This record gives sequence, C-alpha cells and structure tokens, in this order.
Amino acid sequence: MNNNIQTKDILKSKDNTKQIVEKYPRHTLKIIKGNFAAAEAAKLCRVGFVPAYPITPQTSIVERLSSIVAAGELDARYVNMDSEHSVFAAAMGAALAGERVFTATSGQGLFYAHEVLHAIAHFRLPIVICNVGRPSLPWNIWSDQTDSISQRDTGWVQFYGESSQGVLDAIIQGYVISEKLDLPVMIVLDAFYQSHTSENVWVPDSDLVDEFLPPKKKNGNEIDLNNHKDYGGLVPPDHYETFNFQYWRDITKVEELTDEIGQKFGEHFGRKYSAIEAVNIGPKTKMILVALSTITSTARGVINNHPEVGLIKLRLFKPFPVKSILKAFENVPDDTIVINIERNFIGDKEGAIAHEMKHALYGRKNKMYDVYTGLGGKDVPPLTIEKIIKKGFEAPEEVMWIDFE
Amino acid sequence: METMNDFLIKEEQVYSGGLSCRGCGWALLVRHLSSILGEKTVYVLPASCFSIITGPYPLNELKGTIVHTMFAAAPATATGIRAVLDRQGNEDATVAVLAGDGGTFDIGIQSLSGAASRGENILYVCNNNGAYMNTGIQTSTATPYGAITTTNPGTNFKNTMPKDLMGIIAAHNIPYAATASLAFLEDYRNKIKKAKETKGFRLLMIDGPCPPGHKTSPDQSISITRLAVETNLFPLFEVENQEYKINYFPDKKVSVEKCMKLQGRFSHLFKDNSANVIQEIQDYTDHNWQRLNKLHNQNINN
Repeated sequence: MNNNIQTKDILKSKDNTKQIVEKYPRHTLKIIKGNFAAAEAAKLCRVGFVPAYPITPQTSIVERLSSIVAAGELDARYVNMDSEHSVFAAAMGAALAGERVFTATSGQGLFYAHEVLHAIAHFRLPIVICNVGRPSLPWNIWSDQTDSISQRDTGWVQFYGESSQGVLDAIIQGYVISEKLDLPVMIVLDAFYQSHTSENVWVPDSDLVDEFLPPKKKNGNEIDLNNHKDYGGLVPPDHYETFNFQYWRDITKVEELTDEIGQKFGEHFGRKYSAIEAVNIGPKTKMILVALSTITSTARGVINNHPEVGLIKLRLFKPFPVKSILKAFENVPDDTIVINIERNFIGDKEGAIAHEMKHALYGRKNKMYDVYTGLGGKDVPPLTIEKIIKKGFEAPEEVMWIDFE
Repeated sequence: METMNDFLIKEEQVYSGGLSCRGCGWALLVRHLSSILGEKTVYVLPASCFSIITGPYPLNELKGTIVHTMFAAAPATATGIRAVLDRQGNEDATVAVLAGDGGTFDIGIQSLSGAASRGENILYVCNNNGAYMNTGIQTSTATPYGAITTTNPGTNFKNTMPKDLMGIIAAHNIPYAATASLAFLEDYRNKIKKAKETKGFRLLMIDGPCPPGHKTSPDQSISITRLAVETNLFPLFEVENQEYKINYFPDKKVSVEKCMKLQGRFSHLFKDNSANVIQEIQDYTDHNWQRLNKLHNQNINN
C-alpha cells in the first residue's frame, strides 16, 4: 500500500512550456473524455469479457474497449452482440462461468435490458457496467438520469460520478464492492457534459490497480463442468423468500462497505470517497441542496457565494445511503430547508431524489422542496442554481420547475 | 454411423423423476441428446416446457450443468458461457441451448440469429411442438395451419403457414442444421453426433409430440411423429452451409390427413366442411417437399 501521497516528480507537457506537479505517484495525467476514462478503468480492472452494443452517448466506451482488446492491451473476449438484451444476457452467462465482466449502455439500451438486470441481480452476479444517462422517447440523447433511476428497483447498486476521475475510480471500487458482496454495480455518467467532455484524469498505473483489485476469486458458485448445478430453476414459494432475505442481508451492507472501500482507495491512490459528500453543512446552514453527478460541480461553485447554503452529493444512490444522510444532518437545525435537484422524471409529482430523501429524513422536521431542472439535457448553469437558491429562500413551492415557461 | 436399431442408451445421463407429461417428446429427446453429449455439457434453457420438466429448485434432471435464462436470450447467455469456458481451456465442453418453438421462432429469434451470425460454437436444440405448450397451448409462429390453440380457438384456427425456421437458419450459412424425429432414432442419434463433432453454430429441430397440446393419446406420440415424416409434414433433412440433403424419402405418398386426423387440434377440419383447408395443407406440404427435393438435387448434382 502506498500511503504517502507527496508532491514530487515534475512532469513536462509536450510543448515544454508548462509544468505540472504530479499529485499522485504511479499515475499518469491524461486529458480524456469521460467515456474514455470508463474504458480505461475497465482495462485497468482486467475484465475478461465485454459484450457490446452501440448506443449514443455510450458508444465510444465500447468502441474504445474494442480498440484496446484489438491492440492486445487487454486479454479479453469482446463480442458484438445483437441487442442490449443480449448484451446483458451474455454478461450473465459469462459471470456465471466466473469471468470479470464489463459493458456499457444508455437510455433505451438500459430499458431494453431491464428484464435481464433483475436476473443478474438475483443470480447474485458481480458485474460492473457504465450507464451514460439519457431519457426515453420521444428521442433525446442528452443528459438525464431517468434511465438509471427507473432501474433502481432491479437490485443493482448505483453510483453517480461527478467527474471523469470519479467515474474511473468508481469502476475500480465498484469491482471490489461487487465481488465482495456478489452484487452488480452500475456506474452512471452524465451524457455529454461528462461522457464527451475532456477533463484531467489521473490514470493509475496498472500495477497500482492490481494491488487494490486482485484477480477475481472463485466463490464456488461458478459453473463447474465436474460439479453439476442447476442455476435459476423454478423456486417454489417455500424457498423464494430465502433468496430475498440473503439479498437483503447483503444489500444492507453496501453503504458501509462503500465508505470502507472509499477510505482504502484513498489510502492507496490518494483520492478518498464515501457514499455521500456533505459540503458546507453545519448548525448555521439554512438550506441544503441535494444533487447527483455533474450538477453537484456547478452547485459547489455557486454555494461558495452562499455560506448559508450546503450541498449533499449523492454518490451512492442505491441502496439509498440513509445512515450517511442522517449523519450529515446531525447538527442541522429543524428550520433548515432541503431542496432536491431532480434531473429525472419518473411520472410522479416529485422526482426520485425527493422520494428517497423523504424516506431518509422520516421523523425530522426539515421542510423539503423539489426542483425539476436539466431534463432531457437542458443546461443547468450556475445562474439556474442561483435561481433555485433565491426561490427556495423567498417563495418556495412544494414542487418547482426552474427555467421553464 | 450407428447400425440399424443400435439406439439403446448405454450411458444414461437423465435421472428419474422428470416432470414431463405422458407422451412428451422432451424426455426422449433429452435422453438421447445427453447420452451423446456427455457430462461436460452446459445446457442453457430459456422459458420452455423443459425448464419445468428438469425439476424445481434444487433439482437437476441431467448429469450436466443447467442454466435457466430469459425467454428471449438463451443463445446470448450461451455466448457468454461459451466465451468463458474457452478462456478457461474448456473448448471440449459442449454448450447446448434447449428451447421450444416459441423461444426459437418468436421471442428468441433475434438472439438466435445473432449467435448464428457470429458463428458461436453452440449447439441449439429446438423441440418444435408447434405452440406455447408450457403456458397452455397458445399459438406460436411454428403452429401449423389449421391447428386450434387456446388463442386460435374454434373457427378462428391458425390460418397461416408455420415459419420456415430451417430456411431462416440455413440463410445464416451455419455449418450444420438438421431436422430430426423421435420415430427415427438412428437418424436422430447420428445427427446429434454430427452436431457434437461440428464446430461453430449448429441447430437441431426435433418434431415434438405433445399429447395435451395436440390432443393426442400419449401412446401414439411416436406413431404420429413417424406419420409426420411419412406424410412430409416434417421431412428429415440436413443443411450444411446452405446445402440441403434429404435424409429420408418415404416409400409411398401418404396423405397429410392420415397424420392430422389422429390429432384433436385438427379435428374441426374433419367436421365443418373444411376439406379445402386440408387440401391447402396437402398442397403446401407437396410444394414444400418439391422445394426441398430441388434443393437436395441441386446439392447432389454439384
């Protein structure tokens, strides 16, 4: 384990005009798009099977992986499947046979695979995927979390990445969590703002990742040609609940494990993570914004000018990190208001974050308001966050639509 | 090749207690199939009668691995399993899909086509009993013209010809596809062996007797499937890379009526002045047989 993150090693950029201080030893600083960061992470995790099907805005993840495999940089079987339904069904078969599997999808692809998502989860298969969020028809390919949010009851663990660095790191941590609990993990990126936007990403050396994520261990449930089993046959009512109970027992460990692995990741790589991130929250906080993914970056900047406003970034969304939220609210007065920023529409009065936050804060007296904004990829600039804060303080409504005529 | 009548199962791979109906084709189909494929086989089952026949959790009717999967995605699941078995050095193991006609002709045809096009090293076995029998006899695109099902009841019988699945699969230019009948066991066993030994995507379609669905007497299952071959309703042939070869030529022409009237699902055609429907089926069957013969001759002459 490398616990000493030091400022050392001066790197020179190509034109020799700028110098960058290497923050993270045994890393390379690259300027890459979010989708490439995801592909890079899958490579670093040494996945052995990649079933693929194109869909905007995910396509460049699997394209990139196909190049990586073709170039011999990753020892994996890459298969062009006939649909996302087949992609996930193939992932299921490969994981049953004991392989570390990765794929990526988006919107309709994730919707199409819905049936298989349930099966993968309840077969207890440790698979990690990336979903680049976009909504359903009428056609829209832009940033929106309705696709992944609508899969929240399939039993998959869901992480939302704020930055490309966060995505790369979450995939590595995702495999550790997934293989420890035998649960599938979905890492969600924002379309275009993240998937197609180049950022600085510190890409760890492969041996650094190998130390953190060893090759997949067998757990004895894999297909064994010499020890015949029957997977997934009809389970009578007397037994079915047993599987649900075991699932429940393990899914309730995810929040704590996320913090534990996030802490270990920090010690090893120099970047620490947790289930949620509470920014500027304390006894004097008058308002708390709650958001996912790239909107949190925008909100971070805006609240710099509002010392009375705090922010909760939900990194782990499913299972919902209730304990972490309650901890963040420990010193928060009852009259602090909560505003959920919803980039999802689930056909209800309130968005999905409101449902989850109300469940987390049940019994507390804080007033909660909901804001729909950024649906279908509409930009959520700092000005919009300012408007939300202003409206929240001056004339809050139970459910608000911002920048909407 | 096995000699005539040499079709006794020497190494039984099926445990007792299978849950099939009396006279069901699946039992015999799987007994012969598994006896040749052996224990190093992973069977992938979409929703189908066989997924029930093999027994509820935690039972396994076969000496082999069974993976139940989604109705539409058995060839895709098999693709993942095959890829990883190969990576693990188990190229000699067989991955076999066991599906019904609904899972093959209808909901599963996309993933079937995908796997066939990719040339996956998978053996696909379809027990074609001509309807969704597991859910209780609903029409599939394999249901024969004239048959009654619970979704084509009474005078609203199935009024289109079944899909030419073998033609569709042949168009994928796969190394081996064949039809087989449980009344022609030497032929069936030889085809299983050939399919096992061939590398790439292979498909066997077996005529599936189904007493509850066909409204037949269980003890007549084999004789009716034999008649299906003799009447050319279910001809026995192989297709290797689009080259057809007929494996059995009936000695004399037997009318389709002979096979159909033993099956309650066609009984209305013999009552309600539906002779024209029977004639249409006869004409279609003759046409299909001639078409197959042309393809066969084309192949032989080459």
